[in-house]
Amino acid sequence: MEGGAKALAFQQRDIGGKMDSEKTKDIRSTNIIAARAVSDVVRTSLGPRGMDKMIQDSKGHVLITNDGATILKQMEVIHPTARMLVEISKAQDIEAGDGTTSVVVIAGALLRACQDLIEKGIHPSSISEGFAVALNKAVEIIESMGQPVDLNNRQQLIENAITSLSSKVVSQHSDLLAPMAVDAVLRIIDKENDTNVDLRDINVSKKLGGTVDDSELIDGLVFVDKKVSHFAGGPSKITNAKIGLIQFCLSAPKTDMENNVVVHDYTAMDRILKEERKYILDLVKKVCQTGCNVILIQKSILRDAVNELALHFLAKKNVMVIKDIDRDQIDFISKTLLATPVAHIDHFTADKLGTAGLVEEVNAGGERKIVKITGCPNQGKTVSILLRGSNQLVLDEAERSLHDALCVVRALVKKRSLVPGGAAVEMEVAQKLQAHSREIYGSDSYCVRLYGEALELIPYTLAENAGMDPINFVTELRNRHIAGERYAGLNVKKNTILNMLEENVVQPSLVSISALTLATECVRMILKIDDIVLSR
Amino acid sequence: MDMVGNVLPQVFNENASEDKGELARMQSFVGAIAVADLVKTTLGPKGMDKILQSVGDPTAKKSITVTNDGATILRSIHVDNPAAKILIDISKCQDEEVGDGTTTVAVLAGELLREAEKLVNQKIHPQIIILGWRQARDVALKTLREAAMDHSEDLEQFRIDLKNIAMTTLSSKLLLEDREHFSDLAVSAVLRLKGSGNLDYIKLIKKPGGTLKDSFLADGFILEKSISTGCPRRKEKPRILIANTPMDHDKIKIFGSKVRVDSMLKVAEIEEAEKMKMKKKVDQILALKPDVFINRQLIYNYPEQLLAEKGIMVIEHADFDGTERLAAVLGADILSTFSESNFSEGHQPRLGYCETIEEIMIGEDKVIKFSGTKAGEACSIVLRGSGSHILDEAERSLHDAICVLVSAVKSHRVVYGGGNSEIRMSLAVEELAKTVKGKQALAIQSYAHALKQLPTIIADNAGYDSAEIVQNLRSEIYSGNLQAGLNMFQGQVDDMKTLGVTECLRVKEQALLSASEAAELILRVDEIIRCAPRRREGQ
Repeated sequence: MEGGAKALAFQQRDIGGKMDSEKTKDIRSTNIIAARAVSDVVRTSLGPRGMDKMIQDSKGHVLITNDGATILKQMEVIHPTARMLVEISKAQDIEAGDGTTSVVVIAGALLRACQDLIEKGIHPSSISEGFAVALNKAVEIIESMGQPVDLNNRQQLIENAITSLSSKVVSQHSDLLAPMAVDAVLRIIDKENDTNVDLRDINVSKKLGGTVDDSELIDGLVFVDKKVSHFAGGPSKITNAKIGLIQFCLSAPKTDMENNVVVHDYTAMDRILKEERKYILDLVKKVCQTGCNVILIQKSILRDAVNELALHFLAKKNVMVIKDIDRDQIDFISKTLLATPVAHIDHFTADKLGTAGLVEEVNAGGERKIVKITGCPNQGKTVSILLRGSNQLVLDEAERSLHDALCVVRALVKKRSLVPGGAAVEMEVAQKLQAHSREIYGSDSYCVRLYGEALELIPYTLAENAGMDPINFVTELRNRHIAGERYAGLNVKKNTILNMLEENVVQPSLVSISALTLATECVRMILKIDDIVLSR
Repeated sequence: MDMVGNVLPQVFNENASEDKGELARMQSFVGAIAVADLVKTTLGPKGMDKILQSVGDPTAKKSITVTNDGATILRSIHVDNPAAKILIDISKCQDEEVGDGTTTVAVLAGELLREAEKLVNQKIHPQIIILGWRQARDVALKTLREAAMDHSEDLEQFRIDLKNIAMTTLSSKLLLEDREHFSDLAVSAVLRLKGSGNLDYIKLIKKPGGTLKDSFLADGFILEKSISTGCPRRKEKPRILIANTPMDHDKIKIFGSKVRVDSMLKVAEIEEAEKMKMKKKVDQILALKPDVFINRQLIYNYPEQLLAEKGIMVIEHADFDGTERLAAVLGADILSTFSESNFSEGHQPRLGYCETIEEIMIGEDKVIKFSGTKAGEACSIVLRGSGSHILDEAERSLHDAICVLVSAVKSHRVVYGGGNSEIRMSLAVEELAKTVKGKQALAIQSYAHALKQLPTIIADNAGYDSAEIVQNLRSEIYSGNLQAGLNMFQGQVDDMKTLGVTECLRVKEQALLSASEAAELILRVDEIIRCAPRRREGQ
């Protein structure tokens, strides 16, 4: 180590105060190559005709997806700059929920442009500034293309969500999932004032079995893995339910301190069993006195939340029991049912109960059962979505797609503006930037031009993935844009260039703007790195 | 055995090593200069960044940091060279003392040593060099102080000065693009402190998503926790009780304590008694009439419900740091017992107060915001950005800027940046060299040269012709234009006053003093003794 440092120091001093330019050049190009490698991996999954990736993780689980963020998350890349690309994909997911692949592809394309620019001898700082200029201009162009959106226009929102879903495995179900996402979001927001949506108010549950077509939107709650207990014939369907949400246990008492019940003889044992029986019976009676007929029990780590005996009594009293509810869910449940969670039997009174029109257990194919609670009083605040699928992989993919669709709708709530899809935006920006580059001078001009050129990779890739001739397509598209057809883009289903607005292929402006911003920010950061220092 | 074959007595342990004279000196020079060179490229507005990649356990999650903060880089590298360690120490010290100039100090020390090496090769004794340096340092310091300006009388001008300082500090960081925005944030935050300089009142919160421009300053305090179920989500003018007490169960802390009973009912009774104990505690809390109850530890469902029933907003699991700050900001005591008997006469526990408490949404998360706090100083800066790397670096940069501003508020005095003060010092030191007799004049000259290196490096990093523009700057200042400096965006000499490039005097002073001190310290060394490494088990 020390010898190395010594040699290094000498070498540096030989150049005499000047930067050890060879070394930094090397590091910069390795960084760029590593980051581009990541971008190349996801490139083929861009667009509606993009391919899927099969990923086998370290535990041997197999995952099939074409969601950029998911692919990158699972890849476990090591190189630091490559990891930065993974990060921006994540950030895009958080910000816009869609375009996670595009952001990485754009970053890759920009890095390629950087390589060219560095070879021309432009200082990385200057490139970084040039890109900032280009970005500002690009955002300006996108905003000028934006079409205002009206949240009351359900149809338009649905079309939007369909565009987002069109690139997923479940695209054939986009007719179903898209309206679902739109309805879910519209139900929980205040259409006029809200500028953000808390997606936690939408509870998405998955259940294996059936097909994606069987998925549904439920005004209320759905429990997929909670067992409705009807040992000893408890009810499985209750109308006009009065629902109690309890956080105490319906089982034999247990103290916080360790306790032993000492039994001296046989009669004592008998007595203890009786006592236990009586204790539980008392609890159950108190529960029933309030008029409660459905009871939700929070899971307890300290002891059984409910024991067989209690279940038996409750079944006899015709009370439906849903057990093993996580503490995290309590908030959501209480918000939906307007039930107050109760932590002690003495506080369990009628006013704490929530109500629902119908609680029922339904068959979900074979042995599997789910519980649905519908007709809840607090509609407009929370909503649940039940997803179905024939196998785990489809189900997981459907969940991710639905999340994308939800995010797209949310992006529209955040920024109420739409731009054409099908690479129309990218081509327009590319084209306008190249024109702009001729109006300015200095290294910025070079950078802006190459930035524009780099964006053409998006339509190129889109066409390539759709099996078209990319060169013909990109040149034709460019031609049309220069001729003034601002909204021309690729309709992948018809394999032709059409006006995207007329075709209703649109996406939220936020997705495009955030993708460009994030990609540029990341590239500029990579450019500024001149050394990788090993540290503790 | 020595060179001629005499057997020397073994003084040191077998594995210890000893370097003497020239060899020792060379080691120090090489180590210190290597460290200085490592961080050199991060200097200035167009300085480059480094990736810090942790080595070590490959299975552990490798974290990456992208930074150009000298202190952060130096803190995390492995070094074995004692002189290099001294440089790292002064950089750390600078970070703690004034928060910025961490790279400058290491680079200046490195440059001084580079000069010293040349002098030593000319057979000038280190002590003579040190003598010269000391004279040079005094002159440089005097020049620096003379160059300083004080605008604290004129509040308007002072605010502009502060903003300029923040802009100058941030311009060498990641936040370069948005420095306008961030310097506003930093200045408003620091001015709220009203000179108290207690950084506890400024909370930096990082939330991924959005872009750096979306970062904002929130009045009041933000706690990244959630309000428990069933509680009111908003409170106006509440009384706030901050506690650090177990609200799960008051367990007897005797190992292996057990109860033995002979019937189930008794178990139920004990359970009930335990509940009652908790209820009693809650009643004691209620006796203090709080509207909001914040506990550092977790709160079980039962007490939570008891409190919620009374319409009290309950917040559990406030982290340690959070509670301490919160207590300071809200002007409350942190309580752990609640019974009347524990409060001595006339010493009632203080409850916190603020205008409103409400839940707000930042990015994907809900947080709790306390606005209109008792200590009007408190504020939170919420940083948004596209990833953890950017956020971390933004936090470091903003922290630096805030530290610098705090010391600027304390000392009031500012100097022009952009290499202006370095060149002025360097010129003054050169003048001195002409008047001094003897060999130390050479050392004084070398000091002037080292000072001149700083703007040269800054220009180099930006890819400009450093020799050309630094010389231009020198002649400009020599001919009396005392506001000239380097404009790193155009690559030319410009007027620093119109550009608003100012720096805090204290940062410069501190950097100059510690760099000279460290260089002296290293130069004095003529022998390095390394003790034998301690043996570990199994070796």
